[in-house]
Amino acid sequence: MDEVRMVRDFYPEPGPPTAREIARAKALLSEPPRRTLLRLRWGLGGGLVAVGAATAVAIALAGGNTTGGGTTPAPPGRVNLDARAVLAAAEKAEQQPTGNYWHIDVVQGQSYIMRPSTGTYAITAAADETFNWSGAKPGMGEAYYGRDLPAHPLTKQDAALWRKAGSPSSFRVWSNDHYYTYPAKATKWSASGPNVGIDPHGGGDYMGKSVKDLQNLPTDPAKLAAMFLSETEMDKALGRRPGRKLSPEMEQRLRQAAPKLKIQKVAGILSGPVQPKARAGLMRALAAQPGIHAIGHDTDPLGRRGIALASDDSGATATGEYGAPKAEQGTYRWRVVIVFDEHTGAVLSRQDELTQPGGPYSEMKPGFVIEYQAYRSTGWTDAKPTPSAELPSFG
Amino acid sequence: MPLAGDTDVTAIRAMERHHMTGDPPPDPVERFDEVFDAYFAEIHRYAAKRLGPDAAADVAAQTFLEAFRQRRRYDPIRASVRTWLYGIATRVAGKHQRAETRALRAHARVGPGRGADEHTDRVDSRVSAQGLRGELAGAIAALPRGQRDVLLLVALADLSHEEVAAALGISYGTVGSRLNRARTKLRKALGGTNPMLTLEEQHG
Repeated sequence: MDEVRMVRDFYPEPGPPTAREIARAKALLSEPPRRTLLRLRWGLGGGLVAVGAATAVAIALAGGNTTGGGTTPAPPGRVNLDARAVLAAAEKAEQQPTGNYWHIDVVQGQSYIMRPSTGTYAITAAADETFNWSGAKPGMGEAYYGRDLPAHPLTKQDAALWRKAGSPSSFRVWSNDHYYTYPAKATKWSASGPNVGIDPHGGGDYMGKSVKDLQNLPTDPAKLAAMFLSETEMDKALGRRPGRKLSPEMEQRLRQAAPKLKIQKVAGILSGPVQPKARAGLMRALAAQPGIHAIGHDTDPLGRRGIALASDDSGATATGEYGAPKAEQGTYRWRVVIVFDEHTGAVLSRQDELTQPGGPYSEMKPGFVIEYQAYRSTGWTDAKPTPSAELPSFG
Repeated sequence: MPLAGDTDVTAIRAMERHHMTGDPPPDPVERFDEVFDAYFAEIHRYAAKRLGPDAAADVAAQTFLEAFRQRRRYDPIRASVRTWLYGIATRVAGKHQRAETRALRAHARVGPGRGADEHTDRVDSRVSAQGLRGELAGAIAALPRGQRDVLLLVALADLSHEEVAAALGISYGTVGSRLNRARTKLRKALGGTNPMLTLEEQHG
């Protein structure tokens, strides 16, 4: 008897999955359209609605929290002045009409490193764009569109090195545990398939909250922080059960994850149809959280400059456990950054940035975007919106 | 929604199509429901063998959720749908690695211990089988994760070396060397003197 057969015989034959287990697993699959969209949905601050209101907030963020060593420090007291300006602007903005349909257009991508002999450069691949609109009230309909975006060099410098390498039209990269080749080609918008589609009877909610609830969020930063950023909320998001004792190592990891999670959460909420005052309140609440720092100006992968908050950074190590080549192994540090439009207060992007090069990113510089979700557009329209055929322009 | 019976028919048809006739398996992007119907029970079985019935439902559900999310990145040139799913399931199961090791160790302790206490002629064969199983469990528990994954994909999922390579994203050579090392360790743990085992090794 050989060992493989012995092992096979060692494991007893289990019972089949129950009907309930199958149904549950299937139900999970029908959620992703919404789940995925909620990342999308929680996109930008609505254009018209937020104009003015959040501008002052974003500026206040730059000077309001100096612990992170922001590049645009402001004199003390500025925050309060801005806060008053915010309230004043928000009150005006609050009177702005909304619209019938809220839309979110999100571009997301992941960076990979190409290492030809002509010089190492970074590309964005596994990139896609999702467009969602949803009616303000139930029954007004909702729709989801998706398309793959072409793999492309990340920055202008990367583009120069890509040309030097002969302008390849596809990119073979190491992805988690295997090589994958990404084409420099986009697919067409699709509104059919398991993850996209049009529901003429949907609408009226975002991320499991009704538009009405979102429009009635409190405006007080403390109340918003208690609602969305409390320890209980973070534990829930991290899947930690109350009262359960964890190893010091795990405690440490959860502590490091919390500020990152807070940024993601706020980016999500702010991409929905939230009133300007609540929007301003939430931005202020985030800026005041431990582990969150104002870092001054930053640019998103769509080349838009804005003002940013960042989480504390932490280390990550890529091992060779799943066969990663040597060049893809090693330790680096990274943080989560949220970039706001200075003029509208809208969220431009949530991006993971390298803080200390190493491992797969040893040849990249701090600020290198490892992965991102950029809100190309969000806001209200009167008529049903359609996704733009034009490809987004990158950096 | 199809009727309850229809689901089974769909699953069987889908299985038949690619196991019997060689027709292409369902396309994960367009026909993910067929992929689910064709492979859920099989992936559940693999998870249940490795992690027991309780974790199996979660691991299987999570595997299909991951697959669904990544379906646009599925590359039919690289691996069959089945292989692709086993790769995902193995990674998802990896999150339960500690529980798996714990269970195997518990098994290792219980197996030979009881056998020694009840040593009579009548139960002799059962006891030695139990002892063997205990030692085997201990040896599997002691394998590093990479070797264990390869061994169990071969033994429980019946994947070929090429398929394991594709599922785990490792080279064909790595599959061979990991499997070899795993088998050597098991053999040592089990005494390693069976000439049959030495003979088999030549073909490994």
